[in-house]
Amino acid sequence: MGTVEVLVAQIQGLSSTAGDISRLHTLLKQSEELLHAETSRLPSALAQLDASQHSLGYLYILEACTSVPISQEQTSSIVLTISRFISSCNPEQIRLAPEKFVSVCKRFKDQVILEVPIRGVAPLLTAIRKLQTSSEHLTTLHPEFLLLCLLAKCYKAGRSILDNDILEVDQPRDLFLYCYYGGMICIGLKLFHKALELLHNVVTAPMQSMNAIAVEAYKKYILVSLIYNGQFSTSLPKYTSSVAQRNLKNFCQPYIELANSYGTGNVEELDTVFQTNREKFESDNNLGLVKQAISSMYKRNIQRLTQTYLTLSLQDIASTVKLNSPKEAEMHVLQMIQDGEIFATINQKDGMVRFLEDSEQYKSCKMIEHIDSSIQRIMTLAKKLTAMDENISSDPLYLAKAGRERQRFDYDDFDSVPQKFNI
Amino acid sequence: MDFARLTEALASKSYEKIADICDDLMLQAAAEGIAYQDEWPYAIHFLGYLYVDDINSARYLWKAIPSTIKENRPELVAVWKIGQKLWIRDHGGVYEAIHEFDWCQEVQGLLAAFSDLYRRRMFQLLLSAYSTISIHDTAQFLGMNEEEAKVYVTQQGWIVDVASQMFTVKKQEIVTEQKLDSSKLQRLTEYVFHLEH
Repeated sequence: MGTVEVLVAQIQGLSSTAGDISRLHTLLKQSEELLHAETSRLPSALAQLDASQHSLGYLYILEACTSVPISQEQTSSIVLTISRFISSCNPEQIRLAPEKFVSVCKRFKDQVILEVPIRGVAPLLTAIRKLQTSSEHLTTLHPEFLLLCLLAKCYKAGRSILDNDILEVDQPRDLFLYCYYGGMICIGLKLFHKALELLHNVVTAPMQSMNAIAVEAYKKYILVSLIYNGQFSTSLPKYTSSVAQRNLKNFCQPYIELANSYGTGNVEELDTVFQTNREKFESDNNLGLVKQAISSMYKRNIQRLTQTYLTLSLQDIASTVKLNSPKEAEMHVLQMIQDGEIFATINQKDGMVRFLEDSEQYKSCKMIEHIDSSIQRIMTLAKKLTAMDENISSDPLYLAKAGRERQRFDYDDFDSVPQKFNI
Repeated sequence: MDFARLTEALASKSYEKIADICDDLMLQAAAEGIAYQDEWPYAIHFLGYLYVDDINSARYLWKAIPSTIKENRPELVAVWKIGQKLWIRDHGGVYEAIHEFDWCQEVQGLLAAFSDLYRRRMFQLLLSAYSTISIHDTAQFLGMNEEEAKVYVTQQGWIVDVASQMFTVKKQEIVTEQKLDSSKLQRLTEYVFHLEH
């Protein structure tokens, strides 16, 4: 084994063909100790390399370089070096050492988060795209990216990765955080439907023991569900882990109370519950969301009226849902029409509102295209599910376990298990 | 900083692209560690969001602006006021906020386009939400005086009732292209066939 200089020469020489790179990778693994011992000489070594051509070698040196505490003066330059490396590195090379890449990116995030989170937004997005093997792959960097977006108030940038369906996860914690932060981004952008979906994923994800992310997600889930659906049911779907089913409610009592009183449709009662628990909501940083849930009740009550009446005066709407004036009722109705939450026409001359049926007749081209694309999506999903199912049922670990338990049951119960294994 | 893409979009009046271009440029500048805040065209960025009806992003942009910059740029405070009016859905207030400030050259074109677009959006809203509406309210929603409003809506077939000072709204027939690609129909038929057998 040689010195850093020798290694730099090797990196320069062995970065072109796939065979060379795999040899280089072995060499780099062997030199890790050397690199970590000689960190002071690494910046000059980096200067001799090209981030896009010698990505793998560059990555190893950069990782060693950032593994020691960095002085204040160096921070800015090292942040810039990493940011440029991320944008120019070769994806195939860095994917050979994903754990190194992730740790460099995480250190980068830790640095920028202290000062200017927005510096990290674009680089981390690039890093995710380069690291992931497909758009369905959730990397450890996803939640880090979303966190930066939240802190830098770049919600729109964060939104851009939330549309990919996730089917592959490295660490369970990644999924929890990804869905939680993603939920917060969607709440900020008032995309409550998407937020509900993400938070629901956190709450119902498999878990062995309670975790704080799930508890916080559940609180927001309750509130978003009130805002979006106008109701909340404490029963979770069957596939929810039993830990969550049993314990989540106990951690979120004030929120459950709020949801219960929301169910009565009584504005004053809801306000009382809100006032008693105000401090709790505030310390949870959910005050704004709670307020949105409360004001959504007026809308909910107006929506309820549409189920009973065909026409109603603005005066009556105002008094039934406890608004101060007919004008205020008109503005509420108008806003709901604008947002597509009810179908109605306002007649100012008579001071009446006429409630209508949904005007969608499901016969337009757009609707046909919508149905078609939904069917396509479901079909792809079904195929994925079958493939996963087949994968699991041919997995040796699974078969060994199923085989052991098999003796306890009738053979007939296991028709679907392949017959060829022997233990 | 290179604002070529932005100036080009402004010059070609591709206002719907402004928000995305600004987002991109800002994130790139930030990644390079450039102190972009001082010369950043916040007002244009903000209006770019309003133009594509993305009030939430506009809100977060405002929150991210350093307070010293907010204090030193009256124009920025003025666009924020438009945003606030939009946020609380004070429709008349939006036009007032647009008119009460003396805008600089670069902003004017974008702002005029936004104002126009907003008026059209409001007209569509009135069309979908009202069967009769007072002349006064219509003028407020459209940011016009009552005479102008009369001319504007009667051109669209609305009828004035002088006695009650009300308009009767004339719904527009929405004509949509209903041409269907035959392969789509074929595919749907296949689905149904598959489900039935």
